[in-house]
Amino acid sequence: MEPEKTSYRPVRAIGVLLILEVIGLVLLGGYEFLQVDWRGIDLESQQHQAVEVAVFALFVPSAILTLLSALSFLFLQRRGWLLAAIAQGLSLAVCLWLYSLFQPGYVYPIMAYCILMILYLNSQDVRMVFLPRQSHGASHEN
Amino acid sequence: MKTESTGVEATTALLRRFEPVIRSTRGDKFYPMDVEPYVRACSLWVQRPGEVAVCVVPGGKLSLDRLAQQPMDEAGAVHFLKFTDKDDLGPNARGKRLFLRRAKDRKESTRAFRAGRGRLARVGYFSRFVDALYSIALLARGRVPGESAAAASAAYERIMAERERYRYHGRVLRQDGWIVLQYWLFYPFNDWRSGFFGANDHEADWEKIFIYLSESKDGEISPEWVAYAAHNYTGDDLRRRWDDPEVEKVGEHPVIYVGAGSHASYYAPGEYLTELTLPLPRPLARVTQAVRSFWKTRLGQYVGDGDEDGGSGYFSIPFVDYARGDGLSVGEGGDRAWDVPRLLADPTPDWVSGYRGLWGLYARDPFEGEDAPAGPMYNRDKSVNRAWYDPVGWAGLDKVPPPTEKLEAVLEQLADIISRCGALRAEIDDKGRQLKKLGAELAAMRDRSHLDAPYREGTRRVVELSTELDRLRARLATDEAVSESLQEYADRLRAGERDPARAHISHAHRPASEDELRVSRVTEAWAAVSVSLMLISFVGIAMFEREHLISMLVFSIAFFTFVEAGFRGRLVNLVSSANIGLAVVATLIIVYEFFWQLVIASVLVVGLYVLWDNLRELRR
Repeated sequence: MEPEKTSYRPVRAIGVLLILEVIGLVLLGGYEFLQVDWRGIDLESQQHQAVEVAVFALFVPSAILTLLSALSFLFLQRRGWLLAAIAQGLSLAVCLWLYSLFQPGYVYPIMAYCILMILYLNSQDVRMVFLPRQSHGASHEN
Repeated sequence: MKTESTGVEATTALLRRFEPVIRSTRGDKFYPMDVEPYVRACSLWVQRPGEVAVCVVPGGKLSLDRLAQQPMDEAGAVHFLKFTDKDDLGPNARGKRLFLRRAKDRKESTRAFRAGRGRLARVGYFSRFVDALYSIALLARGRVPGESAAAASAAYERIMAERERYRYHGRVLRQDGWIVLQYWLFYPFNDWRSGFFGANDHEADWEKIFIYLSESKDGEISPEWVAYAAHNYTGDDLRRRWDDPEVEKVGEHPVIYVGAGSHASYYAPGEYLTELTLPLPRPLARVTQAVRSFWKTRLGQYVGDGDEDGGSGYFSIPFVDYARGDGLSVGEGGDRAWDVPRLLADPTPDWVSGYRGLWGLYARDPFEGEDAPAGPMYNRDKSVNRAWYDPVGWAGLDKVPPPTEKLEAVLEQLADIISRCGALRAEIDDKGRQLKKLGAELAAMRDRSHLDAPYREGTRRVVELSTELDRLRARLATDEAVSESLQEYADRLRAGERDPARAHISHAHRPASEDELRVSRVTEAWAAVSVSLMLISFVGIAMFEREHLISMLVFSIAFFTFVEAGFRGRLVNLVSSANIGLAVVATLIIVYEFFWQLVIASVLVVGLYVLWDNLRELRR
């Protein structure tokens, strides 16, 4: 189904927000990576900060998914909704897991952004644009 | 309400003119029969509270006349018939014969009837879990014994061998301008559970089809509506207008597709998913509804395309009603013809009005699903059945005037509203004058310190009167709009226009579509084994992975849920729900970790907003 012109706005807006999220993840990851003195690491004793930064790599799959869904939205295809939602869920799940293990500081901004994105993706207006309502019959209780 | 009966010959002729054609499903063993041979084959019992059931009239001695002579009994006593005898089902020679007969019936039934693709595959995980519990509960609840269907089938065959006939019980009455033709169909046994994977089995089954006729001033009769009973449904959704394309007809005879075993009546052939919904406890339902309302209206979030107001039932047990219409058909153009109907009126036979008991075994099932029904006139609790005393209201037709009275009803309502508008205008004028006088009085009292108390009282009265006047004007405006609408409606009726045939239907029963029936073998197999597999995996985790119990349980539930959602095409809903859950947990963590920072940020945001708003006002 061809989207109406007026409904492009949330499609583009989500695309831009997802691109921003990917950029944010890359910058945050880069910043955290630079904070560690990698040459001075002793592989025998696991340094807490180094492990925290290393596990940032767990965000790579969700960042790739986010990028794919963002590109999908920017090319005005509606099918990226599920991809975007899975990416946000994955990011949030990783954040919660890392929070339960190390409580690294970088999870909080990612969590906050993901919460807002999830609310926006699930808002009535956006869902209506991406998931056109199908007619359903109803069954009665016996 | 006015109900009255017509004469015997006219009644019979009218019933026969519109008698339905029933089309059953292949594999069904019971068809509509006369009550007389059934009652003759039954024994009459009484179950008094706290006592063992006592046989009042033994089998072979009962007749319709004797059934009507029901003795007075103490409160809580239940009279019931027994079509199949428990003694026949024991380990004696007859019991063994019946056991063999049951096996033979099953074999034949399997040959004749093939269940549609997985009822369980059509509903969710929780429903399947509750279904399993429901099946287990059957072991503890009172239920019809397993061999009863075979015994009933043998007894029914004996009756039919004596004289094969198919009969309905008819009644014609007038109510609220309608002539109602009632077709009461009696089946000796409901084998929905044992024969067709349904919810229940019970001896005796009363089903009904009503046809609503209108009569013109010159006595011409025309059918306007039909209502087919299905399970315990009532109201608008039951009825269809005679010219609705969904109502199939052979001449003037409506066609009914009968559910296999359940004998529920449907307009179209197919497989109907019927859900027994278990309600949430009321306080929990209220909380859930409040949360859903907040989620939808305050946060503007999507709440799905189901029951958006948040229904009170969240667990439902699926049952499929197979109304395929590929079996025996009875009636006009069918395999068998109807016998002359047995009338239930002019006057009402004593066996109808005098016998308030159950028409088959009283299984003492707390859900009543396995208990036999009462007769056409009564409910199981001995109260009078609404379909009997108010057939028009039963199908939601009490708000619909017959075509001959419709314009008259519209004009009467229009006249009432116009008259009400006149009265409202007079009241508004009167109250408006009072308000002006009060306003003048207040103006005269202003700034007079010795009149402070009456001034305050006057101000209060002005506010009250002003509110009242506003309410009256709003009502007048609405009434004027309604009267305009009624006028237009009357004009359309005069021009011969009719309302849309299906405007009254909010939830029509519809058979499963081709897409819904296209469930793959893998999905069906998954639906059949998934609940058990999940429980087994839980046990396995508890035994072998105690160290990672929580994480393994979460992983296992997530896995089963994900696979389930994939099979049912509900991935979007699953991802959405999981995301919301994660977002809630993450929000709580952020609030916990940054509570004071969030408070400070909120105050800052409010302060900045107020500053921005005030500066914007200054710049204007």
